[in-house]
Amino acid sequence: MRRLPAVKSRRVALASLQEIAGSLSEKYAPGKAVRTRVPEPGGNVGRKLNFSSALLSFSVLADSGLEHYRGSFQNRLMYLPLAVSAATLAASLFGIVDGRAKSHVVRDGLYGLAALTGATGLGFHGYNIVKRPGHLSWINLFYAAPVGAPVALLLAGVLGRVAERVRDDEASTLLGYPAGEVLGAVTSAGLAGTVAEAGLLHFRGAFQNPGMFLPVVVPPAAAGLLAMTLFRSGNVVRRAAKLGLGLTALLGFVGVGFHAYGVSRNMGGWRNWSQNILNGPPLPAPPSFTGLALAGLAALSLVERNKKAGFHD
Amino acid sequence: MWDESSPRAVNGRAPDVFRPGAWVPMREYPEDKAVDFAIVGTGAGGGTLACKLAEHGFSVVAFDAGPYWRPLEDFASDETHQSKLYWTDKRIVDGDNPLQLGANNSGKSVGGSTVHFAMVSLRFRPEWFKSRSKLGYAVDWPLDWREMWRYYSEVEQALKVSGPLRYPWGPARPRYPYRPHELNAAALVLAEGAEALGIDWTPTPLATLSAPRGLAHPCVYRGMCVIGCSTNAKQSVLVTWLPRALEAGAEIRDLAMVGSIEHDTAGLATGVHYQREGRWHFQRARNVVVAGYAIETPRLLLNSASARFPDGLANSSGLVGKNLMVQSNQAVWGVMDREIRSYKGPPSLAITEHWNYADDGKDFHGGYCYMSQGPLPIVWGTTQASKRGLWGQDLLNAMENYNHQVGLKIVGETLPQERNCVTLSDERDQYGLRIPRVTYAFCDNDKRLIAHSLRFMRQALEAVDAHDIWDEDDDTCHLNGTARMGDDPSSSVVNADCRCWDIPNLWICDGSVFPTVGGVNPSLTIEAIACRTADRIKAMARRGELSRS
Ligand SMILES: Cc1cc2nc3c(=O)[nH]c(=O)nc-3n(C[C@H](O)[C@H](O)[C@H](O)COP(=O)(O)OP(=O)(O)OC[C@H]3O[C@@H](n4cnc5c(N)ncnc54)[C@H](O)[C@@H]3O)c2cc1C
Ligand code: SF4
Repeated sequence: MRRLPAVKSRRVALASLQEIAGSLSEKYAPGKAVRTRVPEPGGNVGRKLNFSSALLSFSVLADSGLEHYRGSFQNRLMYLPLAVSAATLAASLFGIVDGRAKSHVVRDGLYGLAALTGATGLGFHGYNIVKRPGHLSWINLFYAAPVGAPVALLLAGVLGRVAERVRDDEASTLLGYPAGEVLGAVTSAGLAGTVAEAGLLHFRGAFQNPGMFLPVVVPPAAAGLLAMTLFRSGNVVRRAAKLGLGLTALLGFVGVGFHAYGVSRNMGGWRNWSQNILNGPPLPAPPSFTGLALAGLAALSLVERNKKAGFHD
Repeated sequence: MWDESSPRAVNGRAPDVFRPGAWVPMREYPEDKAVDFAIVGTGAGGGTLACKLAEHGFSVVAFDAGPYWRPLEDFASDETHQSKLYWTDKRIVDGDNPLQLGANNSGKSVGGSTVHFAMVSLRFRPEWFKSRSKLGYAVDWPLDWREMWRYYSEVEQALKVSGPLRYPWGPARPRYPYRPHELNAAALVLAEGAEALGIDWTPTPLATLSAPRGLAHPCVYRGMCVIGCSTNAKQSVLVTWLPRALEAGAEIRDLAMVGSIEHDTAGLATGVHYQREGRWHFQRARNVVVAGYAIETPRLLLNSASARFPDGLANSSGLVGKNLMVQSNQAVWGVMDREIRSYKGPPSLAITEHWNYADDGKDFHGGYCYMSQGPLPIVWGTTQASKRGLWGQDLLNAMENYNHQVGLKIVGETLPQERNCVTLSDERDQYGLRIPRVTYAFCDNDKRLIAHSLRFMRQALEAVDAHDIWDEDDDTCHLNGTARMGDDPSSSVVNADCRCWDIPNLWICDGSVFPTVGGVNPSLTIEAIACRTADRIKAMARRGELSRS
């Protein structure tokens, strides 16, 4: 490793952002001949997926940190997602700086652990909902342990596993299917789940600000288009999907701004930050959209690569 | 620093309730030119009506004996200090069950009692509007529930009431504008008890914000609600209807106590005499609305007696001041092993209206709901000492359990009885006005209802393994009746439009007009009636049916 890791990771992050910008500018460059990009090698796609995992696990780390702190870590197990998401984040950062086109057993293992913890957490949170009076009811969906949070960790793990698979250049298939398509399907499903979570919480907030509709409009469109690319070949759908995913990724950033404004509307505003950050809306939540959108863009690159390689079309 | 005894709404501006130290412009009307409406009281009835009438284009001056607060800067988290919100002027109480007046039933503030109310926002059971014909007791209202259903929706929107997505009882209602609040541990105890006994429960519809609204902050769950909410999450009249009223051109005169209503030789009202800054003034008006709540409203009508109306205004039926109805407010308390901290959050986060809607299994007429409770420490200590008779070490021991105690408390229907009444005593208050005498006694039906509720709530607490259970059997809340509406001038004071039978340009628009009280907190119904009254007045004005004095 000759290059400094920090510089490398910044490059991957930058590349991801450029991807967003690219997907947007492609759309807004009418008359321009369709650009056929050189498909990326698996290592690059893998690192992008590591970046997605990094964002998702960062979201989980910050969010469960806040929420479980708020819940006074009543149950010892509430430390677990913090530890696992921190480890996943570390593994992902390692993945981002690791230019070798090969999977790594530690990363792979940690991603597996993240997926397992996410799935277990989902069980715990589900149980927390149904055991309360009212059982499976709106009030418990609103305020009992959120279903979406462990799913984000599960997704971080799954995307990480996929990252490792596509790093091994020859492994262009996953479970016997083309990697791009599997990833596309996983990402669409992940986006749908995240939209459901944002929709539920924004419904809880009575959509009191029109901006609250954005995450239930933009990402579902992107997820739908991404899913369409699995069934329909052709540049139009793919470009539309890229645009949607680009906007979704952007929304993840903008969302943090919206949520910061939301925090300011609590009693005492930012002057009372120590209480109001806990009170929400959660600052770390929106970046999961960016993480998933980047995974979606990576999936599209894989599809393009596979197409070149003659897998598709 | 404002000393709370000099008016704030003067010189063309009123306090901005949403910004510390700020003001909003306010239109002012000269006293010698008749305004369309002089409204006495700016609470649930008067404040709502002032807003709606101003928005309908009428000129409105609304008077309140209380101060004009800016909750963000004027309210402290201190029970003793906040008693400044209560109507604690001298009153005489008697009867078999003399009422405890003040904190738990009347306010003296711009915004009325809603400034320190508990925000529970419930609709009447439809049958209660016809309780004589449909349920066989008391009297019918001259209003139709379907029309009220529409006005309830208007008020729920205006207050951004937060409530459950599905209400378990009664006919369908539109979705509450805001989602329900998170339940505290005390509410969960109610829920567990209800589920154990096989009855429905729900998060309580509350007029406090579960999400931001304009400049008003969402609820912070500190539970100071009944001493005044300093975040503006509580959707009191002060922060909802009154800012709208000002914007529509109404004038609000704070610290202005109306002493009597003047009338002309034709028997029409001509305006009100009021005291402000130690001086008596007279405001001319084409219509006068009385909205001082169920004690001050009859008191003002009786205090305005004249040679032409020797028994007081609007009193040809002899019913002004009669049929005072409280709501029974009994509770069962217990101690849980786990920590509860019931004072966290609004006090009544969960409710069951089961016994309002079930007609079988009752040995009484009427209904009651019960809610979870979150008493603040002084109230709780006082309750232990005065209601349970604890003192010394016993009191200390009981207070140690404060974080573990839970309670269920009813809002119960009482029946109208003419012997329960507001009359005038010969004593006078600081304004030189005769003070009211309030006479009250429960009837046998009321007592059977209370006994039923105490038995049932005890079972509910036993079902969740509470221990040291005891009954608080003598509390009351909410005052209604005393100027009932009806279809017949001989048996009511006002008609369905809140217009006095005797004096067509005198109106009564507050809790006084209730013919019956039902088993739910009254303010949503009072505000719905005010909205309806404003619409009716607008329609009458258009048809030229308002009298001119
Ligand atoms: C502690 C508490 C909790 C409550 N909780 C709830 C609840 O959860 N839900 C619910 O629905 N209801 C609740 N209520 C009841 C509710 O607040 C009242 O029923 C409602 O406000 C009554 O409306 P009103 O217009 O009749 O009178 P008010 O709102 O009391 O308004 C009357 C106003 O008139 C003024 N006034 C009276 N006489 C004069 C005069 N001569 N001159 C000038 N001004 C005058 C008074 O100062 C007062 O501001 C609660 C009440 C209290 C006290
Ligand atoms: S608990 Fe909510 S409504 Fe009650 S005083 Fe506090 S902020 Fe206001």
